[in-house]
Amino acid sequence: MSRARAHGSPRGGNHPAAGALLALSMVVAALLGLHAPGARAAGEASAAASSGAGLGAPAEPTPASSGEASAASGNAPAASDTAPAASGAPAAAGPLVRGLAPMPGGAPVPERWRSPGAVEGDGGPSPVVFPPQRLTIRFNHRLHVRSLGVPCTGCHERARTSRSARDSLLPPATRCDACHLTDHRDLSEVTGEPEHHAAACVFCHVGYRPEDGNRVARMSVPPPRLRFSHAAHGARNIGCRQCHGEVQELELATRDQLPRMRGCLACHGQQGPARGDAPAACVTCHLAEASGRMKTSFAEGRLVPPAWLHGAGHGPDWIERHRAVAAADGTLCATCHQERECAECHDGRVRPRRVHPNDFLSSHPVAARQNDPRCTSCHRTQSFCLGCHQRAGVTLSGPDAAFAGRGRFHPPPREWTDPPRGAGHHAWEAQRNLDACVSCHTERDCAGCHASREVGGRGAGSGGAFGQGSNPHPVGFRSRCRVALRKNARPCLVCHDPRDARLEACR
Amino acid sequence: MARACSPRTILALALFAGTAAAPARGYEARVDARTDVQLYTFASPYGDPIVRRRRVTQQLGLALDDLDGVPDPRAASLGFRARLRLDGDFGQESAERSPRTPERFVPGLEEAPLDLIYAYLEGEGYLGGVAGFRVGRQQLFDALGWWSFDGALLRLSAPAYVAVEAYAGYEQRSSLPLTTDRYAADGVWRGRRDELETALHPAFLDQRELAPAWGAALGTSGMHWVQGKLAYRRVQTRDVVVSAPFPDAGGGWQTVGGARVASERAGGAVQATLPELGAVGGRAVYDLYLSRATEYDAGVDAYLTPELTVGARLDHYLPTFDGDSIFNWFSHQGMTTYEARAEWAASRRFAIAASGGLRAFTTEGDPERYASAVADADPASPSRGEAQRTDAVSSLDARHRTAEGSVAARGVLEAGERGHRRGGDVTLRRRVLGGRFDALGIVSLYDWRDALRPDRAATSLQYVLGWGVRAGRRARFGAEWEHAMNRLVGQRYRVVATLELEVGP
Repeated sequence: MSRARAHGSPRGGNHPAAGALLALSMVVAALLGLHAPGARAAGEASAAASSGAGLGAPAEPTPASSGEASAASGNAPAASDTAPAASGAPAAAGPLVRGLAPMPGGAPVPERWRSPGAVEGDGGPSPVVFPPQRLTIRFNHRLHVRSLGVPCTGCHERARTSRSARDSLLPPATRCDACHLTDHRDLSEVTGEPEHHAAACVFCHVGYRPEDGNRVARMSVPPPRLRFSHAAHGARNIGCRQCHGEVQELELATRDQLPRMRGCLACHGQQGPARGDAPAACVTCHLAEASGRMKTSFAEGRLVPPAWLHGAGHGPDWIERHRAVAAADGTLCATCHQERECAECHDGRVRPRRVHPNDFLSSHPVAARQNDPRCTSCHRTQSFCLGCHQRAGVTLSGPDAAFAGRGRFHPPPREWTDPPRGAGHHAWEAQRNLDACVSCHTERDCAGCHASREVGGRGAGSGGAFGQGSNPHPVGFRSRCRVALRKNARPCLVCHDPRDARLEACR
Repeated sequence: MARACSPRTILALALFAGTAAAPARGYEARVDARTDVQLYTFASPYGDPIVRRRRVTQQLGLALDDLDGVPDPRAASLGFRARLRLDGDFGQESAERSPRTPERFVPGLEEAPLDLIYAYLEGEGYLGGVAGFRVGRQQLFDALGWWSFDGALLRLSAPAYVAVEAYAGYEQRSSLPLTTDRYAADGVWRGRRDELETALHPAFLDQRELAPAWGAALGTSGMHWVQGKLAYRRVQTRDVVVSAPFPDAGGGWQTVGGARVASERAGGAVQATLPELGAVGGRAVYDLYLSRATEYDAGVDAYLTPELTVGARLDHYLPTFDGDSIFNWFSHQGMTTYEARAEWAASRRFAIAASGGLRAFTTEGDPERYASAVADADPASPSRGEAQRTDAVSSLDARHRTAEGSVAARGVLEAGERGHRRGGDVTLRRRVLGGRFDALGIVSLYDWRDALRPDRAATSLQYVLGWGVRAGRRARFGAEWEHAMNRLVGQRYRVVATLELEVGP
């Protein structure tokens, strides 16, 4: 009997009901999967949780009273979150509960011992930069460093010469042999001094059981997505503590002792000579694409800046706020984004759903009157808007011959256009948000009333006026018109005859 | 008599030439292509005409990096970028593009314009790392906005604190080959009038001359906690255009020509961040043609905890237009928005942001008493009074994001004298099977009422279903189905299909 059958799975599918049940379960599973974006396979979830990928719990296996967690995995011992079962440990040592977490009993690490830049509640380092780890070794740094006097490089000796973040700086298992009286030279047949309790596999390998033989849980410490040279930093007398905090005070060292960007910028963010050879450019440390832009997309998610970095936190409403950062330092955006991404919204041809909600085609007139979002950030009203409005026959200019006389778009003339100007007159809306007017009207529509009576030389005395002389100029116009006239007289001549005495006041 | 080469010999020679003569490449090349097809139809509010959109947009991008063969981020680098776009709408009727059918003719309408979004050669890190340049069609973003020109830009960055850039060329405007009018100042209806009589659409101004433009900027460089940029830009128009859109006494048309200011603006933006406290920033634009500040905004954020940020913002916007446009003189006060905002990043996956405030407009004159006030006022110094008109604006955005997808919700509530708009969307994006397939689902409900046109009030329900498939990391095909329901349009459908391809490292 297969294991699946033993667990009662409907396998084989001979019975019609079994097929229907299977199909139903697939649909339910798909729906659940769709509605639970964070769901993962159980093994991944355990690794992520133990590594703080979610809310920042550090990667500490927690003591437990039974060894059941590793029982379901068949021959391979699981990377258990539990301590070794007391029954599996040699009798001499008692419960092996130290070195399973940074602090005894899983107490929180004091802030002064954490990595520089780490703050309370920061959730640990980014899981995208430092992918979740799977720590299956019980290890007490405090004991080794402070009590036994082993320096950091006594075990992590490759930190002296490593020039790549992909280098594994974990010590080989043989490093433990001399003191623990073990022999890891042949990993297919590891041995230990039987009388020495610290030589037992379970002393270090979390979740080990005697029946596991020579197999222990695999440890996984993925390389960070960074460019980093331990050698270069060491050569500048930057000690381990300057980036990793007070590991010598802790028992198990977890992801939480890995550097924070805020800590890196303590040096890399310096100005002038103080910074030395530590530039602040993002790709100094972060991986870059061939184009030189920062690589931001990884299996664990997308790298986005924190709020405190240039005020550029990509929160849920970032699209409404990004202008302030882009205007002050557009090169920051270019660190990660290609200009085509800007063009896809600001000069796009496919309506971006993140900007415009659904059925925007129906609701856009109200949004345009509120200018929310600001139409001219992406659209030129006298071409993009006007062209479509003319095709739809809602403009005064354009192909009105075919669509004239079908009803009035605006409120009645006595309210909207006729003098005297009442509370519902169009002037107030025009003063407020002329972009909305210009999305349908051309200058001729406005000049018909607002041009002076002499425009075109056809004043009242010479055969009829085009303009009504309704003055549209704002308060304070007189003080500004001289400059405007000098720089460009064309708009003046739309409404004023070149010999108009009122132009003289601006000359 | 020479012996003819056999096909095998030609193939061998070609292979030899292709392998032995190929120089060692020191550059990286990437080509990407994207095709979007959009099919939908909408009707005029009056019922006709029916506008059919059968849009096909194709983009082709090319990026060449390390043209000088030195892939070292600390050395000088040379690269090239280009992006070409075909924007077709094959639902147009030919009558809409022909001046011979004035009852349907829409000036400036093109069926499938082709434009070069950008194409430039860029060098960085020259002269000991301080100099850089760009030559070609390029885009700029600064306090003055997003803009494009054809020309050259030179940038000098001091080792610390300051960078200077200067540029000159021609603004990208429509009616020239491979251009779009997206970047030209607004307020002027322009294009080629080749077949148009002057009396037909006189407000459609002729455009055929290059528009000289130049500018400069001074910004921070290498400053980590403070960034800022001051910018100045001037653009000229040189086209000969009609002045008044009406014939003169003799039935002729007066024209204006020569170089004149299309836009001349100066502005600045600054952003300062203290990681333990918060951020402050602001931006201002002064229009030198109008002699007035036309845009300014300022904001402050406080990081109360690592998860919670609160802030306030002020934003003023006055619509401005091209120097050729009369509309600058109709745009008086603009709008000022006062807003408070809070963002709570509950975890790396979930965050929510809410904002609310007022959008205010100060009228030039009291709308309720304007007529009598003007009648009583001294014409030389009219005392028209003023009044405040306000609308309430608010929004709510929430997002739960994982490596496999996201769930996002957005809510909008605007209410006031101009009517209201309220509603929200829920968007679900999901990648499955290691990203090979992706799915999109959106459902939204919006209700709106325009106080000026209460007959166009409606409540709309819409959903979108999308699906995509990837072939490796370099190709993706996706399709979306959109269905909107409201009393104004009944049922409206839209189909969007996208094909993306990429070749390169």
